[in-house]
Amino acid sequence: MRSVVVAGGGITGWAAAAALKRRLPMLEVTVLPIAPPADALADRFPATLPSILAFHGDLGLSEADAIVRTRAGFRLGSRFVGWGEGLPDYVHSYGTHGPAIEGTAFHQHWLRARDAAPFDRHAPAAMLGREGRFVPAGEAPIDGYEYGLVLDLPAQTAMLRAFALHLGVREAAGAFRTLTLEDSGFARAIDTNAGPLAADLFVDATGPAAQLRSAMGGARDDWRRWLSCDRFVIAAEAAAAPPGSLDTVEAQPTGWRFRIEGLNETTTGACWSSAHDAREGIAFEAGSFAEPWLRNVVAIGDAATVVEPLEWTNLHLALSGIDRLVTMMPGRDCAPVEIAEFNRQAAAEAVRVRDFLMLHYVTARRPEPFWREMAAAELPDTLAHTLTQFAERGRLPFYEEETFARDSWLAVLFGQGVRPRRLDPLVEAIDPAPIAAGMARHRDAIAAAAARAPTHAAFLQALHRQALR
Amino acid sequence: MTDGHAQRVVIVGGGTSGWMAAAALARLLPRRCSIHLVESEAIGIVGVGEATLPHIRHFNERLGIAEADFMRWTRATFKLGIEFRNWGRIGDSYVHPFGTFGRGQGDVDFHHYWTRARLAGHDVPPLEQFSIACMMARLGKFTTPGDPQSLAGTFGYAYQFDAVLFAPYLRALAEGLGVRRTEGRVVDVELDGERGDIRAIVLDGGLRIEGDLFVDCSGFRSLLLGEALGEPFQDWSRWLPADRAAAMPCRTRTDVTPYTSAIAMPAGWRWRIPLQHRTGNGYVYSSAFVSDDEAASAIEAAVEGEPMASPRLLRFRAGRRERSWVRNCVAVGLASGFLEPLESTSIYLVQQAITALVELWPERDIADADRDEFNRIIDLEYDRIRDFLILHYHATERDDSAFWNYVRTMPIPDSLAEKIELFRRRGRIVKYREGVFLDASWVAVYLGQRVIPKGFDPRADLPASADLLRSMKALHQEVAETAAAMPAHLDFIHRYCPMAEAA
Repeated sequence: MRSVVVAGGGITGWAAAAALKRRLPMLEVTVLPIAPPADALADRFPATLPSILAFHGDLGLSEADAIVRTRAGFRLGSRFVGWGEGLPDYVHSYGTHGPAIEGTAFHQHWLRARDAAPFDRHAPAAMLGREGRFVPAGEAPIDGYEYGLVLDLPAQTAMLRAFALHLGVREAAGAFRTLTLEDSGFARAIDTNAGPLAADLFVDATGPAAQLRSAMGGARDDWRRWLSCDRFVIAAEAAAAPPGSLDTVEAQPTGWRFRIEGLNETTTGACWSSAHDAREGIAFEAGSFAEPWLRNVVAIGDAATVVEPLEWTNLHLALSGIDRLVTMMPGRDCAPVEIAEFNRQAAAEAVRVRDFLMLHYVTARRPEPFWREMAAAELPDTLAHTLTQFAERGRLPFYEEETFARDSWLAVLFGQGVRPRRLDPLVEAIDPAPIAAGMARHRDAIAAAAARAPTHAAFLQALHRQALR
Repeated sequence: MTDGHAQRVVIVGGGTSGWMAAAALARLLPRRCSIHLVESEAIGIVGVGEATLPHIRHFNERLGIAEADFMRWTRATFKLGIEFRNWGRIGDSYVHPFGTFGRGQGDVDFHHYWTRARLAGHDVPPLEQFSIACMMARLGKFTTPGDPQSLAGTFGYAYQFDAVLFAPYLRALAEGLGVRRTEGRVVDVELDGERGDIRAIVLDGGLRIEGDLFVDCSGFRSLLLGEALGEPFQDWSRWLPADRAAAMPCRTRTDVTPYTSAIAMPAGWRWRIPLQHRTGNGYVYSSAFVSDDEAASAIEAAVEGEPMASPRLLRFRAGRRERSWVRNCVAVGLASGFLEPLESTSIYLVQQAITALVELWPERDIADADRDEFNRIIDLEYDRIRDFLILHYHATERDDSAFWNYVRTMPIPDSLAEKIELFRRRGRIVKYREGVFLDASWVAVYLGQRVIPKGFDPRADLPASADLLRSMKALHQEVAETAAAMPAHLDFIHRYCPMAEAA
């Protein structure tokens, strides 16, 4: 493989170009910077999952460059409000909710102690977040978690563009017209008003329209029967107060709304189903290419998989696709056997993200028609398998390419009031009294340590002072 | 949330699987079941599964078995991997190690750098010389793994032990935990007319034993699952044609190697498993390509020490039951399926079945969700191992016998053909996080059997050639020195776990 053209000028496109050039410097990488369209979910939502930090790490970007100078904030998770009627809000943070006990999972003991405090009280990240505090994981009990960022998207995109150009990525001029194909079905060049852009491989980062991948034929598998939200709005305004470290995701009669607090801006918006709500919004359709990579065109991010922005997986899927592309870069012939392995992994990942998003709806308990319809949706086999196994004894089966760890699934399941029918019998052999006491101590230790941690604003201030000294 | 009373578990068959199941259930689910094991001394145990995988250590730990004690009693030795001789071509030898190549760190696996250097025409040592486990095996060394960040921490180990002694060892443990044992042969299995569940078994002495859950550890016969419940057998002999073994132990006279050997033969292969007091040998062959007499003569001619018995014939068939758990009957070990011991997976499969049963322990009224999930897990284990075993036969250049001509040219499962093609092109391994044989195992067998990639991960092209060769040379030396400084395998055993009657 010698040359790659990336179509797309949002964070997805520049991230792809920078990663390809940085990690495979022998490639000639060109970006055709098409401005992200309004429906480009991955390019427009500022909240990210922890994977962005690993992505920065792989590129060798420092905290000063990738976080401080780009005015990013931190986020420890989301606070879900109103997803189970009559239930308190809950926090989905990214990490542990208590240690394993004699080889058995913590949550089984939590289930056995029926009067225990809410599940998220056992997660240090959730407790820090509820107090608006932030520190990276360190010593026990403030350990065992990851965090994401709240990006200033223009600043982050500009940084990735500058970094990519510095690495030797070429930025093409011209406006996208069409993709031209060889008789073999392989893409030959992107036609622009400034001339053709030829390459061995074409990366489609054009957003949900998938301008290159669509030209190759085929369509996304339609996921609307499982994820029926299809409209969103998003707006940012100057922040009125120092940022918290959790965003808020609140169920609404026909969907949900959100509030993401960044360093300088607060982003709010909503997502809903047009079948139940006629408000104007930006349209999208949930679905995914079973083969995001076809011949020498590979779709990344929204171009491959469109899902609603719940849990902020859109940019995560893009970054994960970029990493997979770098890791599995084939020869110029794009041999079908190599492409098939890429597609197998990509599809497995997308399906489990879809399942995790669906989980929020099928376990929600709200009376409105939208929610009743979502809860009654026929489940895909993979999610049905997970829920059946969980309902029996709180067991979560392993899946390859899973984005969200077991504790994330548990946070949502327990947060939305789902309980298994019975306990893991292995737990019954263990004396419950000392464990209940230990659980209370664990909670108290977290609460006490969280109260001593710096606020998110104070942490950022110190970080900026240190980095920009 | 609980269903009150303990379940009555009846285990049919002693031997390794029966007693492993009994000991594990008694230890891990003490309040959940009362266990009754039925075995007959008249029925021998197969006991060819003397070589194990590193997973056995976890099983023993969960049961509270002290390693040195267990090794002393079962006259065990350490195992760092398997040496394969004469597989790619006659005269070839490679080690499939319980460990990684290189340091096993970083984004790009070491074999890509190795391939790059080879393709560039550099005179690079064989891959195994960059694996600490392989070099320890070659030098006859052993010590327990060090810090995982260091080279001395990039390997794992298993045991080679006397399966005939392992069962009584577990029996003592299980009986101490309250397992009841009855001597007898099962002559009848009573089914519940309506549901088709097993209600009871009847022994030759007339004793009738009722149960809620039946664990079939009856070996090849598959007395409950196969015979009583009629679960069909999926035959895999078109890919794995070996159907017999001639087993013949000899006194340990030659090296007590810290590895098992699998030596290719004209119509199959033979194992060599060194224990403290004897060496297990056996010729696994296909009866379509060699007669029993010829096979027996071949193993007699091959053993390296004084024979302790004449060759004993075992018959089997590769494949598995469609489902391992049907109704209220769970088959464990040979009763559920058979894969030849080429990669020492027999005891591993027993262990996985027991682990899955414990994890999915049912209520008296068994939920489909438990049964289905158990079968999904076990089927996946069998199917992945199957592909890995077929690779050993298929990836060969041997054309010196009808047997090798058959396996070299036979059609293979698509799932395996894709894996091989992926490796051949660019050294890629199909990525799974879960499964018994991970990347390094596949790399060892591919390269050991002359499936040489035509390309490599482009990221392995980044270091300058001189730097790469220099660091490979330094690593090569560090591996050799680290291994050389370790204690000899037998010295380690004599200090740590000499067998009871050693003196």
